[in-house]
Amino acid sequence: MKKWKLLSMLLVICMVFSLAACGDSAAPAAEGGEGSSDEPIVIGVISPNTGALAAYGNGIVTGVDLAVEEINAAGGILGRPVEVIKTDDQSDPTECLNAFNSLVSQGVGLIIGSATSGCTSAITDAANEEEVCLLSPTATADSITTEDDYIFRACYADSFQGAIAAAYAKQAGYEKVGVVYCAADVYSKGLFDSFSSACAEYGVEVVASESTASLDVQDYTNQFTSMVTAGVDFVYAPFYYDVIGPYVVPQARAAGYTGVIMGADGYDTTPDYVVEGADLTAFNDVYWTNHYDPSDTSEKVSSFVSAYEAKYGSIPSAFGATGYDCVYMYKAAIEAAGTDESSAVRDALADTSAVYECVTGTFSLDESGTPVKGAAIISFVSDGSAVTSKLVDVVTELP
Amino acid sequence: MSTFFQTLIVGLRLGSIYALIALGYTMVYGIIRLINFAHGDFIMVGGYTMIFTIPLALRMGLPAWTAVLAGVVVCVLVGVGTELIAYRPVRKTGTAMTALITAIAMSLFLENLAQAIPAIGPNPKVSSQIFASGGISIGSVTMEYTTIITILISAVIMVILYEFTQKTRLGRAMRCVSEDKAAATLMGINVNHTILLTFAVGSGLAAVAALMYMAQYPKVYTTMGSLLGLKAFVSAVLGGIGIIPGAVLGGIVIGLVESFTTSYISSSMADTFVFLILIIVLVLKPAGIMGKNVGEKV
Repeated sequence: MKKWKLLSMLLVICMVFSLAACGDSAAPAAEGGEGSSDEPIVIGVISPNTGALAAYGNGIVTGVDLAVEEINAAGGILGRPVEVIKTDDQSDPTECLNAFNSLVSQGVGLIIGSATSGCTSAITDAANEEEVCLLSPTATADSITTEDDYIFRACYADSFQGAIAAAYAKQAGYEKVGVVYCAADVYSKGLFDSFSSACAEYGVEVVASESTASLDVQDYTNQFTSMVTAGVDFVYAPFYYDVIGPYVVPQARAAGYTGVIMGADGYDTTPDYVVEGADLTAFNDVYWTNHYDPSDTSEKVSSFVSAYEAKYGSIPSAFGATGYDCVYMYKAAIEAAGTDESSAVRDALADTSAVYECVTGTFSLDESGTPVKGAAIISFVSDGSAVTSKLVDVVTELP
Repeated sequence: MSTFFQTLIVGLRLGSIYALIALGYTMVYGIIRLINFAHGDFIMVGGYTMIFTIPLALRMGLPAWTAVLAGVVVCVLVGVGTELIAYRPVRKTGTAMTALITAIAMSLFLENLAQAIPAIGPNPKVSSQIFASGGISIGSVTMEYTTIITILISAVIMVILYEFTQKTRLGRAMRCVSEDKAAATLMGINVNHTILLTFAVGSGLAAVAALMYMAQYPKVYTTMGSLLGLKAFVSAVLGGIGIIPGAVLGGIVIGLVESFTTSYISSSMADTFVFLILIIVLVLKPAGIMGKNVGEKV
C-alpha cells in the first residue's frame, strides 16, 4: 500500500511539473510570430457604442467594418490582413481612457477614436506618452490636434465649422444673430467661440447668447424666449441629436421662435429622434454643417453609399463615412511607411504633402494633423409627418 | 412681461414633474425612514414600459396615456421586488446607513440592468406624442394642457395620499409603523405587509410621474432617473421630507427657482441656484419649509 501511495504522489508531482513546463514554453511561442508576413495588422477602435451618443459609435463601427472588409477582400495592407479590436467609451471620458489603456495593454499601436471631442481630449496626452497613433473620425474641437504629436483626425476643426455657419448667416443676410449653447461641453463651447469670433470678422452682430448648465438639461424654452425678445431670426445652437430632436427644436417653436436654427455635425441622425405624432414642420428652417453629403453623385461617394447600403440597409451617417475614411487613411500611411510600427505610421501621417482620396473629400493634413477640406451645409425638410435632409451648399473655402 | 409669464410657465412645468416624483420619495421616507434612491430609476422603468406599450395602446384604438396602466403594474412589481429582495433582508440585519447604501446600489443596479436588456439597450428612445398639443394662451405665451394636467394630477394625488394616510385603516397602520415598529407589531399591525404596501403605492406613483415627464420631455434613457431623482429628492427635503403637501410645494419651488435663474440670472447656473436654495433653507429651517422639528433627521 505504502508503495502505491508513494508512486501516485510521484506521478502527481510529475504531472504538475509537466504542466508548468507547458505554461513556460507556450508564452514565448505566442510572442514569437510577431512581424511575420501573415500576422494581421491590428487597428483599435474606440467609439461610443452605448450611451447617449450610441448612434455615433454605431456609425463609426459600421464604417470601419465595411472598409476593413473591402481591404481584406482585396488582399489586405502590405499583404497582411487587417484585424479590428472594438472598444466602447459610452461617450464618457473616463471610460474612454479605460478603453484606450485596454487597447494599449493588448499591444495595439494604431487607434481610431473617439467620436466626441470631450472623450478624445481625455486620451490625447496618453496617446502621445505611449507613442500610439490616434486618428479621430469626428473629434472637431480645435485643441485636439497640435503640431508634432501622435494625434490626427479625418474631420475639419470647429474653428472652420463654426466659421462656415457664420459665413452662411452673413451670406443669407442676417445682421443680428443669437447663440444657445452648453457652457460645460468642449464641443458646444468650442463651436460657440469659433462662431462668435467669425461673426465679429464678418460684421455679423451676436446680440444674444444663452447657455445651459449641462447637456442633460431638458428645457430650452427660456433660452429661446430670450432669443425672441432680442428679436433675432438666426440662432446658432450647437448641440447633439439626442436633444435637438425631442427638445430643442420643438420647444424653440413653442416659445414662439420662428427663425433659422443652425447647428453643426452633432445634428446628424436627428430625424431618427423626433417625436412621432407631433407637428414636425418645426424642423423646417433648421440648417447644419456636415462632413459629407450622402446624395453627392461623385464616384467615390456613390460607391461608398451603395456598398454601405448593400451591407447594412441604410444610408451611412457622416460618422460611417469618416470611420470608413480613417481606415483608408491608415492604409495609405502604413503603405507609405512600409510597416505598421506606430512611430513610422505617425511620420507618414505627419507628411503634409500626402493626399488622401476619401469619401469626405480629397485632402491632405495640415501641420497639426487636421484635414484641409470643405463642409456640406444641409437643411431639414418636413411635410409634417417625417423629417428628411436636403443638401443646400458645399463650402470648401471661407470667404 | 411675456418673458415673465413664459418663465413662470416653464417653472411650473418643471416643478410639477419634480413634485410628482417627490411625492414618491416622501411617501416611502415618511413610512420607513428610508431615502429610496432607486425611486428615480423606477421612473425610468415606467418610462421604458410605456415606450413599449404606447404603440400597443394606439393599435388597439386607445389613447396613448392608457399605457400608464402597464407602467403602474410593472413599476409596482419592480418596487415590491426591490423591497423583498434588497431592502427587507438588509433592514433585518443592518442599520439605517446600510439600507441607504443598498438604495444607492439598487439605483445603479437598475440603470445597468436596463442597459443590458437588448430591447432597451443604452440608446435613448423618443416617445410619440402622448397628449394633444395646444393650451391656454395668456397674452403672447401659451400654457400647455400637459402642464395643467400635470399640476392637477399632482394636486389630486397629494390630496388622496394625505387623506389615505390620515383617514383609512391602512394609512393609519402606515403612520404607526413609521412611529414605532415594535409598538405597531404589538397593536396587531403586520409591519412587513404595511411596508410592502407603501412601496407598491410609491412605485405606482413613479409610473404616473414617468407618464407626465414623457408627455413634456419625450426622451427616455437608462440614466434619466439619476439627475431627475436628485432634483425630486431635493424638492422633498426642501418641502419637509415625509410631509406629503411639502413634496408638492418643494417641487414647485425648485422648478420656479430653476426657471427664473435661467431667465433672469444666468442660464448656465440654474443647478447652482437650485442647490444653493436648498442649503439656505436647510440652514434657516432644517426640517424643510413645512417640516416640524422632531429632532431625528437624516
